[in-house]
Amino acid sequence: MPRLLSRRALLLTGGALGGTALVAAVAGTGYLASVDMDGPGAVVDGERVAFNAFLAIHRDGGVVIQAPRTEMGQGIHTGLAMLVAEELDIPFDARIRVEHPVEQLPVYANFAPLNIRPEDPTGPVLWAAKRVLGALPMMNTAGSRSIIGLWVPMRVAGAAARHMLVAAGAARLGVPVGELTTADGYVTHAPSGRGIAYGELVRDAALVPPPRDPPLKPASAWRLIGTPQKRVDLPAKVRGAPVFGMDVVLPDMLHAAIRQAPVSGASVARLANEATIRALPGVVDVAVIDGRSVAVVAQSWWQAEAAAWRAEIAWSRTEADQVTTAKLARDCRQALDARDPHLHLREGDVDAAFAAPAARIVTADYAAPFLAHACMEPMNATVLIHADGTAEAWCPTQSPLTMRWGVGRGARLAGVEPTSVTCHVTMNGGAFGRRSEVDVVVQAAFLAARHPGRPVKLLWSRQEDIARGIFRSQAAARLRAALGSDGLPIAYDAMVAAQAMMHSASRRNLPYGLGASPHGDRFSVEGLDKRHYRFASRRVRSRHVPSHLPIGAWRSNGFSFGTFFTESFLDECAATVGEDALAYRRRLLRDSPRHLAVLDRVAAMAGWGAPMAPGRGRGIAIEECYESVVAQVAEVTVAPDGELTVDRVFCALDAGIVVNPDSVAAQMEGGIQFGVTTALMSRITLDAGEVRETNFHDFPMQRLADAPEVVVEILRSELPPGGAGEPGIVPVAAAVANAIHAATGRRLRAMPFAVLEPDRDGRLRTFLPPATQARG
Amino acid sequence: MVSFTVNNRVVTFSGSDDKPLLWVLREDLGLLGAKYGCGIAQCGACRVLVDGESTPSCVTPVGAVAGARIVTVEGLAEPDGTLSPVQQAWIDEQVPQCGFCQPGFLVAVTALLDRNPNPSDAEINAVITNICRCGTYPRIRRAIHRAAAAQG
Repeated sequence: MPRLLSRRALLLTGGALGGTALVAAVAGTGYLASVDMDGPGAVVDGERVAFNAFLAIHRDGGVVIQAPRTEMGQGIHTGLAMLVAEELDIPFDARIRVEHPVEQLPVYANFAPLNIRPEDPTGPVLWAAKRVLGALPMMNTAGSRSIIGLWVPMRVAGAAARHMLVAAGAARLGVPVGELTTADGYVTHAPSGRGIAYGELVRDAALVPPPRDPPLKPASAWRLIGTPQKRVDLPAKVRGAPVFGMDVVLPDMLHAAIRQAPVSGASVARLANEATIRALPGVVDVAVIDGRSVAVVAQSWWQAEAAAWRAEIAWSRTEADQVTTAKLARDCRQALDARDPHLHLREGDVDAAFAAPAARIVTADYAAPFLAHACMEPMNATVLIHADGTAEAWCPTQSPLTMRWGVGRGARLAGVEPTSVTCHVTMNGGAFGRRSEVDVVVQAAFLAARHPGRPVKLLWSRQEDIARGIFRSQAAARLRAALGSDGLPIAYDAMVAAQAMMHSASRRNLPYGLGASPHGDRFSVEGLDKRHYRFASRRVRSRHVPSHLPIGAWRSNGFSFGTFFTESFLDECAATVGEDALAYRRRLLRDSPRHLAVLDRVAAMAGWGAPMAPGRGRGIAIEECYESVVAQVAEVTVAPDGELTVDRVFCALDAGIVVNPDSVAAQMEGGIQFGVTTALMSRITLDAGEVRETNFHDFPMQRLADAPEVVVEILRSELPPGGAGEPGIVPVAAAVANAIHAATGRRLRAMPFAVLEPDRDGRLRTFLPPATQARG
Repeated sequence: MVSFTVNNRVVTFSGSDDKPLLWVLREDLGLLGAKYGCGIAQCGACRVLVDGESTPSCVTPVGAVAGARIVTVEGLAEPDGTLSPVQQAWIDEQVPQCGFCQPGFLVAVTALLDRNPNPSDAEINAVITNICRCGTYPRIRRAIHRAAAAQG
C-alpha cells in the first residue's frame, strides 16, 4: 500500500493530490480540541480511509492503528491499540495492524518535559509550551509516559471514528442515530435486525464531519481496558521475522563498522594503515567521522567489521588519559562536602532540628557506579540519501525527532544538506534510554552522504556498544536524619553527588548549542525527596560531578540509585530505634493511604514477619515514581560461604487504571530482573580513561538459573493511568540490600553488592564481599 | 565452497570458509531470525540447530557445518505456518518483551526438549544459558514447562 501523502499538506492545500482525495477537513482547532491539538480530517486513500492521525479502516474491515511511540518490549503498541479498539468497538484480533507512524505530526507529541497530561486544563504558558512541543514534534518514548500521554487522545481517535461510522450507518439504513449500536466492527440496528460492517461504511463515513468532542465510554462499559490482551507484536517475534533495525535490508545496501575513541573525547590522530584496510575484501570506503571515529564501509558487515579490527588508529591525548574509577568515585564522595550545593527542596528548619539536643542522629553514605545499558540489539542505523537530495532513515530509536535532526547533522558533516528527512522507526531490541541518543544515526548519515543513492547500515559491535556507550552516572549520597522521641525523623537531609544527566544529554541532542545547566539536575535527585513520608522537615541538595564520560537516560534514571540510597537509609533509621522496617514505614505513611495500601499488600503477599531459616532474610522498599506507587519485598539467602542468591521478589503496584494488566505485570517482572542484575553485578569501570568492560563476559547479566521468582499484584485503582515501564526496577536494589542486612546483619551501602566467581560449569556465582572488604 | 541444508533447503556458500555461520545466514541467505548480540558465544541470540544441536552461530565458521542440517528460528514452525509447540508456548505465556534474544531461546529450548522431553528446573538451568536483558526469565521457565507438557 502506498504511503499516505502528508495529511498536513492536504489540509493546507485542501485539494486532491496524487490520486488521494481530501474529502473532509476540520476547521479551527479540530475535534481533538479536548486534547488541545489540531486533528486532521478523514482522508481516502484507495480502499483505505484514514479517519484521523491515529487510525485507518480498510474496506475489508482491517484496521491500521498509528502508534506514535516506540515498541521496545514494553507492549506499548498493544496498549495503544487497545485504547482505540475500546472506543471503536472492534474485536481485538488479527485484523488490527499497528504501525509506528512515519509522519511526525503535532498530535503525536509527548508533553513529558512539561510533566502534564494532554487533557489537563492549562494556562497560556503551558498552552504555548505544548504548541512548541507539538510543532517540533517532540514524540519520544521515555519516562514511562506513553500511556499517560495517549490515554485520552487514542480513545478520542477511536470514538471519533465510531461516531462517523454510526452517522454513515444511520444515513444508509434511514434510521435515527439513536437507534444504532456498535459492537465487533458492526453498526447494528436492533429493531430491524440489520447490521453493516465498518468496512462497508468507511467511504461514506469519511464524508461525515468529525465530532469535536466525542463522548468516551464510562469505565463500566469497558470490555478491553483492564483485561489481559495478547501482544500484537509477538507472533512476528516468535517466528523470527525481521522487525528490528538490525534486520533492515534494502537494495544495493552497504554495511559499515566503526571504531570510536577508547577515551571519550579523544580524536583520531592518525589512521596508519588506511591503504591496507581499503585493499581488504569487500571494503568500499574508509572514513574518519567528525575527527572522532573511524568507519569501514563494505559489501557485508562481516567484511567491514573484520577490516575495522585491523585498523591501526592513533588517538589524540586528552586530559582524561589518566582517569580511573577510583579517581572519579573520589570526586563524587568529595562533592558531598561541597560548600555550595544546589538546593532542590527545603521544608521546615532542618538545621535547627539537627541541633536539638535530644535528637538521635543517623547518618550514612552510599554509592553507585557508572552503568551501561547493554540493549540486546547493539546500536545501529540505516540511512539513504537519495539522488534528489531527500534522505530516508531506519532506526530502532526512542526519539524520532532527534533521529531526524541527527540525519541532517550527519549529512551536513559530509557537506550534504538533505532537502527532507523521512524517519522509519523499527522495533527496538531493548532501549532503556540508550536509544534516546542518536550518535549512531549521525554516523550513519555521514557515511550515507558519501555514497548517495546507496543505503548504508551502520552496526556497532558489542564492544563498541558497551565500552563506547553513553552511561548512567555514578552517584554518591550522604543521608542524615534527626530522630524525634517517637523514633521518626524530625529532620531529613539528603545530599547527592552525580553527573548531571540533562546537562550532558541536552548538549549532545539539542540544536543551536542549547544545553541544560549542570546545576540542579532534576534526574540526579529522583528518589530522594520521599515526599510521601511524613517528616517534620526535609532538605534535598545536589552537586554536579563532571567527568569525561557522556551521561544519558537510563531506565528509571536517578531512581535507579536514589531509591536504593533512601530506602536503605529508612531501614537504618528503623534499626536505630529497634523497630520493624514495615511498621516504621507504616507510621511514616499514615497520611498516605495510597502508599499504605501498596505497602500493606506487598507485606501480606510476602508473609512479612513470618520466621525465616538462618542465613535467609527479607527486605522491603517502596517508592512513588512515574505517577505510580510500587513496593517490593525481596527474599535472599546468604550461604555460610557467602554465596548470595535472590530467591524471590514480591511486587505490589498501584499504577492507576491499568490498560493491559499482563503487559504491566511483565514490566514489573522484567524490571525486577533488570534491577537485581544491576544491584548484584553491574558496573562500568575505567582505567587510563578507558572503559574496561567490553562484552557480556565482563559486563555480565543474570541468566535463567539466577533469576528470582517474581510474584506481582496490581491494585485496583480509579486514578488516571500512571507509568509502568520503569517502576519495576526502582525499589528492588534497596529491598535486596535490606534483605541482606536481615540475613547477615551486614549493611551494603554501595552497588554492586556481589563479588562474581565462575564455578566449574562456567556459571557465574555471586558472593558477598568478605566482611573485611565490605564497602558498607 | 560449502554445502549444507538450512530449514530443509540445500544451500551452497562460495565465500570464505571462516565467515561465521551467523553472518552467512543473515547476509548471504537472507535469514535474519538469528541475531548478533555479542559475537563471542555469550548471549545466545545467534543460536541455531546444527544437526539438532543448539549452536552459537556467531563463533561457528561456515566451513565447520559442511553437510550439516541447519535449522533457524524461521524453520521451527510447520511448513503450513503452524507454530511449533515451543513457539506456541511462547505466545501462550506471552514471553517476549523486546523479543530480540528470543530466537536464540526458542532454538535452545527446542534442542533441550528434543533430548529431554520433561526437564526439571535444575536441568533447564544447566542448559539454557542465553541472556535476556528485558528479564523474561520467569515466563521462559513457565513456557518451557508448558511446551514440555504440550509435547508430552
